[in-house]
Amino acid sequence: MVFILGVNFPERNLLKKSLQTFFGVGNDTSSRLLARFNIHPTCRVGELANKQVLDLTAVLSDMKIENDLRREVLNDIKRLKETGTYRGRRHALGLPVRGQRTRTQIKTPVRLNRMERRL
Amino acid sequence: MASAWCWSCLSRLRPTPRAIFPSPSAGTRITSAPFHSTATQYAQPVKKKANSLTQVKYRQGQTLRRKKKKTVERSRPPAVGERKAMRKRIVLSNPNALEVEGMQDLSAETMIDARLRGSVLGLPVPMLDQLRAVQAFQPKQGWSLFRRPGTVMRRDAVEMGRLFAKISGEGEEAEKGQVVKRVITGLKGSGKTVHLLQAMAMGFLKNWVVITVPDARELVSGDTGYTPIEGSKPTQYIQPNATSALLNRTVEANREVMSTLRVSQQHPALKGLKPNSTLEDLAKLGFSDAALSWPVFQALWTELTATSPAPGLEKNFQPRPPMVVTVDGLAHWMGESAYRASDFTPVHAHDLVFVKHFLSLLEPGSSLKNGGMVLYATSTSNSPSSYSLEVALDQITARQEGIEVSSPEYPQPEPYSKADTRVLDVFKPQKPSGKEGALELQKLGGLTREETRGFLEYFARSGLLREDVNEKWVSDKWSLSGGGIIGELEKAGRHLRAPAERIPTAEAQV
Repeated sequence: MVFILGVNFPERNLLKKSLQTFFGVGNDTSSRLLARFNIHPTCRVGELANKQVLDLTAVLSDMKIENDLRREVLNDIKRLKETGTYRGRRHALGLPVRGQRTRTQIKTPVRLNRMERRL
Repeated sequence: MASAWCWSCLSRLRPTPRAIFPSPSAGTRITSAPFHSTATQYAQPVKKKANSLTQVKYRQGQTLRRKKKKTVERSRPPAVGERKAMRKRIVLSNPNALEVEGMQDLSAETMIDARLRGSVLGLPVPMLDQLRAVQAFQPKQGWSLFRRPGTVMRRDAVEMGRLFAKISGEGEEAEKGQVVKRVITGLKGSGKTVHLLQAMAMGFLKNWVVITVPDARELVSGDTGYTPIEGSKPTQYIQPNATSALLNRTVEANREVMSTLRVSQQHPALKGLKPNSTLEDLAKLGFSDAALSWPVFQALWTELTATSPAPGLEKNFQPRPPMVVTVDGLAHWMGESAYRASDFTPVHAHDLVFVKHFLSLLEPGSSLKNGGMVLYATSTSNSPSSYSLEVALDQITARQEGIEVSSPEYPQPEPYSKADTRVLDVFKPQKPSGKEGALELQKLGGLTREETRGFLEYFARSGLLREDVNEKWVSDKWSLSGGGIIGELEKAGRHLRAPAERIPTAEAQV
C-alpha cells in the first residue's frame, strides 16, 4: 500500500487510474502529471520510488482538487442563483441549464439540479 | 344481514365480507376516524400503486430500478502473470510427431553446404536454451508441430552461413572483421523472424556474441520505465529496466563466451568492478541495480568492440569475437514513442538512448569493430505505418540498383508529406569504408519449388501430412502459397488430413 495525498492505494493498481480517483483529476491531468515526473503510462503504484510519491503528493496538494474543487463549483452555482440569472433559476428548478430540450431526457438535471445542490 | 346502504349518507356500501369479525390473528387495523358507520375493517385493502414504469411522473426521479443480478462465485481468476505466461508460452517439441529420420543438425559444416539447400536442418538441442534466452522463438510460430525444432535451409540461409564463415575467417575468401549491415524486409509470412533465428543459431555455432532485441515495440510502447539523462540536449532518456533485461538475456545466452573474456578497458563509472573480472561479472552488475544498467551496458559494449587493451591491462586481453545484433520490428522505432517529455511533448524514439545505440550501428564508422552482422528486420503483422521508413527503404533499394543519389529517379519523399528527417538520416547513403559494407536491403521472397518440396516433405515425414508429395502436388501448393511464401506453405502443410477411406470394391468382397 502506498500513500498518495493521504489515500492508501494497493501496489498492484495502475498509477494513472489511481490518480484519476481524485475528484478533479481526469485522463489529461493524470497523463500530464506522469509525464512531468517521467513516469511511464503503465506504471503500477508499487513501482514508484519514494521520491516520486513525495513529488506527486506535493503537486497534488497544491492543485485545486477534491473538496476545494467541489466547493468552488457549488459556490459558482450558488452565485448564479443569488444573482437571479436564468442559469441560476434553471439550476434551482431542476431543469437543464444550457438550452437542452425538456420534453424528454432530462434525467441528469432532475437528479442533480436542486436548491441544495450536491456534487 | 346488515343493509347495503349507509344510513347516514345513503351511499351504497360494499357487500359485507363473509367474515364480519376479523380473526384476532389478522392483526389490528387502524380504526381511527371512521367516516362511515361501517367499520373500516370491512373496507377492501388499498389498491397497490401502479407500476412506476407505466405511471409517468414528470420532474421526479424516473430511474429504472432493477435488482442487480447476484454475481455467481466462480472459480478463482488466474494468478497474476499466469495468463501472460500462457500467451507467451513456447512449446518446442511434440511427442506425437514422428521423428524425422536422417535429419541433420545445423552445424558449422552443414550451414555452408549448398547440397543441403531445401532440406530442413534441426537446431542443435544444447543450443535451444540459448535461443530461448535471446527470445528467438515466437509463440505463433509452428514449433509445437514437430518432434524437435528445425529450419529450412533456403538460399538466403545458405548465403548467410557462408557470410558467417567468411567473417569468422574461414575458407578461401575469408575477410576477418568484416561488418555486414542489413535491413530485412519481405511479405507477411516470408520468414523474416526465422531468418533472424537462423542468424542467431549460426552466431552461437561460431561462438560469436549474440545480442538481440526480440521486439522493438517494447521499447517505445511506454511499458518500461524511463529516466532523462540530465544535461543532455535534446533530452535523452535511458530505460533502466529494458537495459537490465537486455543484459540478462545477453549473459544467459552468451555465458560460454563471456565467461572467458576479461575486462580490458578502464571503467571509472563502475565502482564495484574488480580489475580481473570477466565480462559476465561486468554484465551482472547491471542485473540487480537497474539504475546502473545503462553504464554497465555501455561498458560491456566498449569491451566487446575493443580491438586493443587499455594500457596496464594487457595481460587480460583476448581478441574479441564478432557479434550478431538483431532487431525485430524495426518500424516501431521510426516515429514518436508513447513516452512523454516533462512538458508533455511526445518523445521521439531516437531520443531513447537504447534505441539510438542500436540504430547508430547502421551508421558508418561507429559499428562493430571486430566484425559481425547487424540484421534488422521489419515486421508486417505488427508494424505501425511509417512513411519515412518506406521512403528510406525505397532509397536503399534504388542505391542497390545503381541509381545515383543525384539522379531524378532516386526516390524522394513527397513534397508536402512531412517525412521524418531523423528517420531518413539513419538510412542515408554511406560509402563502404574499410571492412564495413554499405547498408543493404535484403528482401525475402518465396522458396523455390525444390525448397518447397524439401519443406513439405519434412511435414510428411513428421507424420503431419498424409499426402503423396509429388511434383504436381508441390507445384500446386507452391502456386497457392503465393510463390512459395513459407508461412502460407506451413498453413498448407499443417492441415492434417485423414486419408480417404477406401471403398471396398466388388473384387475385395469376393
